[in-house]
Amino acid sequence: MKKGSQKLSDNAYSFVLTIPAVVLTVSFIVVPIIQSIIMSFEKYGVKNIISGKKGTWNNFRNYTKLFETGQIPEAAWHTIVFVIFVIIFQFILGMALALILNRDFKGSRFVRSIMMTPWVVPTVISGLIWMWLFQPQYGFVKYLISFVTNGRVNDLAILNNPSTALGGIAVAALWKQIPLMTLLLLAGLQNVPSDILEAATIDGAGPVKRFFSITIPFMAPVIKIAVSMEIIENFKQFPLFWTMTGGGPNGSTTNFAILSYREAFVSMNLGSGAAVTTIWMILMIIVVGSYQKAFIVQDMS
Amino acid sequence: MNKKKWPKVLRAVIMIGILLFLLFPIYWMLITAFKTNMEAYLYPPSLYPQHAVLDGFINLFTENNEFFVYYINNFYVSFASALITCVIAIFAGYSIARFHTKWNKVFMAILLSSQMFPIVSRMISLYSLMSKAGIINTRYGLILAIVAAQIPFCCLLLSSFFMNIPREIEEAAYVDGASRNTILFKLITPLVTPGILAVGIYAFLMTWDDYLHAATLIQSDELRTLSVGITLRYLGELSYDWSLINCISVIGTIPMVLVFFFFQKYMVKGLVAGAVKG
Repeated sequence: MKKGSQKLSDNAYSFVLTIPAVVLTVSFIVVPIIQSIIMSFEKYGVKNIISGKKGTWNNFRNYTKLFETGQIPEAAWHTIVFVIFVIIFQFILGMALALILNRDFKGSRFVRSIMMTPWVVPTVISGLIWMWLFQPQYGFVKYLISFVTNGRVNDLAILNNPSTALGGIAVAALWKQIPLMTLLLLAGLQNVPSDILEAATIDGAGPVKRFFSITIPFMAPVIKIAVSMEIIENFKQFPLFWTMTGGGPNGSTTNFAILSYREAFVSMNLGSGAAVTTIWMILMIIVVGSYQKAFIVQDMS
Repeated sequence: MNKKKWPKVLRAVIMIGILLFLLFPIYWMLITAFKTNMEAYLYPPSLYPQHAVLDGFINLFTENNEFFVYYINNFYVSFASALITCVIAIFAGYSIARFHTKWNKVFMAILLSSQMFPIVSRMISLYSLMSKAGIINTRYGLILAIVAAQIPFCCLLLSSFFMNIPREIEEAAYVDGASRNTILFKLITPLVTPGILAVGIYAFLMTWDDYLHAATLIQSDELRTLSVGITLRYLGELSYDWSLINCISVIGTIPMVLVFFFFQKYMVKGLVAGAVKG
């Protein structure tokens, strides 16, 4: 075999090498996704799993029910508000930190390394850390807010209040994700040529102008990828929601992930859960697709 | 204060503000773990433990030690996933980087698109598919499902390392009569060791963090992994034992922190390469 394998053509050899990856991806990702799309048109519950019977076509009932009860529009709203909020703040704070850390000062290497810590904290544990900080009676955030407002706001229960719960989860998500954003933006800052920046300074361009007309354009590829990664990540966010609020209070933090999980694995109505994920995937393709398109248009102008 | 100093002060203030936001919660977790429950439930809270105690940890080791079953399972699953992912990523990553065949284009498209879809969507049908195949509620079923989830990013990441290896090295060995397998495993693979480390660590960290796969594919308590075990056993009751929960958080985070800071050099390089080039 040793010498003979050279006779294998490039095509055959490269095909053989990809087999394990293809088998796993197809059988654990591609096929299940296609099947869940099929299931979304069927009545498919626990009985079908136990008896092994096929689901039965139910005339878009899964979809119509989800829209009639308003669950889908609500979940879409929560998901998108969450994504936009997290992405904007993550980008601003990550960029600020990256710009500061890009200058070499005493201890900058140490800061670069220690700031990554939240990123390695497991997601469920990040949820726990913030639940404890937000704890309504003894939590640190309650203390901090009452200290800042001089005792006027004293009963803030962020995660128990429908109007603030989503914001509370977003803070935890920001906390966990800012480090990676900063790391990627720092890498992007290496692509900005310092001689052009210097030339612009000599020509009298202020720091704001330099930032928007030199730094940002040179970083565009990195920004595009980093932001699109984070859009996908937050669109899919499940563990933070599940541990911190479970979708409550009063459904105010039920995003697509929570809704589909609850339909499929708590109510054991797998068809309905699959309908949620199908709409979710379509929306995600639209959002990510239009984001990428917007970037291409910008690149050309 | 003169005019030149202002930007410097502003930068320092912003940096310290962001760092406080990032690091204070970790500090708070650590000190709560060493507080007694009496002290943890003090309002206003004490900013450092008045009497640092190990009660929470002792409690965790002696009474509530189901945690360690989940913990060991998590190690087992994470190691296995990282190892398998590395092997598969070496094969596929090399193939993507070295051969630009039509099939590889299709393969890349499969990888890129499967990265995007939410886990719940495939768990719904995997649940019934794996029940039929009889690999639900087993460790290797869980490991396979998790490995499949890591493959797309890891293959693309490793292929970016393979791309940096000049082809001339291979061609020289080829002329000397080395077989394809010898070239790949004995010659090229050792050259991408940093990439393999990055992939392995990434897969380890992601598996350690997994919630959804284990939540849907595992039903028996003795096979549960960390994240699911914590939420099912220690949360959801009326009163939380916060001192204990913070001890769990500390112990659950330590392996990740150690792995990351020990291999930081490779990890940072790999993440940047994978995200920016892949």
